[in-house]
Amino acid sequence: MPAAIITSDRTSVDLDACYNPSTGVLDRRIFTDRLVYEEELKRIFGRGWNFICHDSQIPDPGNFFVSFIGEDEVIAVRDRTDKVNILLNSCPHRGNTVCRAELGTTKSFMCSYHGWNFDLDGSLVAVPNEEAFYKGGLDKKDWGLESAAKVESYKGFYFATLDPDAPSLLDYLGWVGKLGIDMMLVDGPIRFLDGVHKNRLKCNWKFAVDNLYDWYHVKVSHGTAFKVGLVTEEAMAPNDQMVILGEYGHGIGGPGLTVERQAEFDQRQTTGEGESQWYDLQAGHRTDPATREMLGPIGHRSFGHPNIFPNLWVTHTRQMCLRIPRGPFETEIWWFNYLPVNLPAAQSKQSIFTHNHVFGPAGFLEQDDGENWSHSTRGARGTQSKNRPLNISMGLGQDAVSTDPSGQSGIETVVNEHGQRWTYQCWKEWMQADSWQDLMNNHSTPPQGSV
Amino acid sequence: MGTYQKLSVQERLQLTFEAQEFLYREAELLDARRLDDWLGLLAEDIHYWMPIRRTTQAKDVHLEFTKLGGMAFFDDDLTTLTLRVKRLSVGRAWAEDPPSRTRHLISNVRISDVDDDEITVMCNFQLYRTRLNSEEDSWIGRREDVLRRVDGELKLAKRHIYLEQTVILSQNLSSIF
Ligand code: FES
Ligand SMILES: [Fe+2]
Repeated sequence: MPAAIITSDRTSVDLDACYNPSTGVLDRRIFTDRLVYEEELKRIFGRGWNFICHDSQIPDPGNFFVSFIGEDEVIAVRDRTDKVNILLNSCPHRGNTVCRAELGTTKSFMCSYHGWNFDLDGSLVAVPNEEAFYKGGLDKKDWGLESAAKVESYKGFYFATLDPDAPSLLDYLGWVGKLGIDMMLVDGPIRFLDGVHKNRLKCNWKFAVDNLYDWYHVKVSHGTAFKVGLVTEEAMAPNDQMVILGEYGHGIGGPGLTVERQAEFDQRQTTGEGESQWYDLQAGHRTDPATREMLGPIGHRSFGHPNIFPNLWVTHTRQMCLRIPRGPFETEIWWFNYLPVNLPAAQSKQSIFTHNHVFGPAGFLEQDDGENWSHSTRGARGTQSKNRPLNISMGLGQDAVSTDPSGQSGIETVVNEHGQRWTYQCWKEWMQADSWQDLMNNHSTPPQGSV
Repeated sequence: MGTYQKLSVQERLQLTFEAQEFLYREAELLDARRLDDWLGLLAEDIHYWMPIRRTTQAKDVHLEFTKLGGMAFFDDDLTTLTLRVKRLSVGRAWAEDPPSRTRHLISNVRISDVDDDEITVMCNFQLYRTRLNSEEDSWIGRREDVLRRVDGELKLAKRHIYLEQTVILSQNLSSIF
């Protein structure tokens, strides 16, 4: 277990001390140091289960979609047996990419350099002039495209890991990760829409992740949204908050209904009387008993933002967002958009309107986020400023985890930084572990009792 | 041969000149941050749209742009464009506070179609933006605009914007194209 990472300025980041869970104080250098970043690629992105694509994006054999695991470019492709393969987009001959498009359909992947040709399962099937030039000296079965070590899907969401020792996807997700995905299925099965909004921010990927739990910034960063009447101030960032923490760093943080408010909503549904509330829109998607059963007694009262560790953010606008690292100072933001399969046309149109106007680089909310995260990153680069720690202490020691007999647990409170603290706590454990075995043996279980 | 090509040189010159004047004047308003005046140039049913562009294989170029009615960077009408302008004046529009400095360069203006009250005009553009001390963005692309004669004045009735970027290389798209 490494105690410290020697940074590029030859100081060292003590991996235990860089985040202090009892004070909520965080070493800023984890956002800017090149060598910390290199370790993240290996220990977090290289080890974890990474979201790659949804089943509906590549419905037919030969359909492919290109994505990333950390900085490794991978091709998700459906082969002729209907299996989805996740292949490293790098030819074993000289390393050239074998697929230059972002998406499309193909019969095979032919490398544009010397023409090695790979089948949809990655196997090397043809080598130009093989007999004349290799004279039997090339064993093609050893030189296919490398596959991810494991590929699994949860309800149509394909994930891959590069680590053969990783636990199963379901064990990795645990109930919190699964709940995060189930929240996307409250209106039944979904299909992803053609078109991923992609843009680049000059920020460290962790500042983007940190922000999804951040319901403190909403009224300040996104104040224009309620000032121009797009949404009410209360609906945008209600004080009633719930945080759900899961093993390996997953979490869900944001608005939540207390048992009383839920009862009030249910009562109103039956009687049709009473004043509408900020939570009606979201709660309205969870009136079906089967949906509540799927989300569980605590989960169905949460409208917070799930993060599937490390970098998949789920929203309640039928969108989800990947934060793809591009070096310590740059992150690519990918917004995926989906609709319930059976949504009537008029509602689909309304939903697409929301997709195109809330998040994404031109979104009414998100256009104001980027500079904040970029400047937080920039602020960690100065000789003096990088040695000033950050304060992530809001709510620390002031709340309690309540556990339901079903086993679900959550923190019901006001705006807080529990989700961020949990992220950095888990980040630290991922960075300290030398293997999956090590991580399995040495990671925090989500807190019980007081937090 | 389209209607426009059938016109005399004199008539084509006159129409092109009119369209150019409109586009240059519009660019001037945008760069001068006179966005309320800019709103005054829009037709009530304006459709302002920028699809998402993707890198595709040559044989899949039909997938290069997302389609109308689907995912897009912009898919605005007069209401949402008005909100974009309004939000700048209510405080906390951080993407534009401090305000960006922009310059719209409009070129290759050519009319592709004309009928009684509408001119379809294509142009190439570069939108150059700087922000804060050293932020610099440049978006190049082409536009397909429809200018409509309403009570003797030209109004912008359609703007479809095709950028030469797939991954948007800027931190946001908070400017008007
Ligand atoms: S690098 Fe791919 S065939 Fe040579
Ligand atoms: Fe935000």
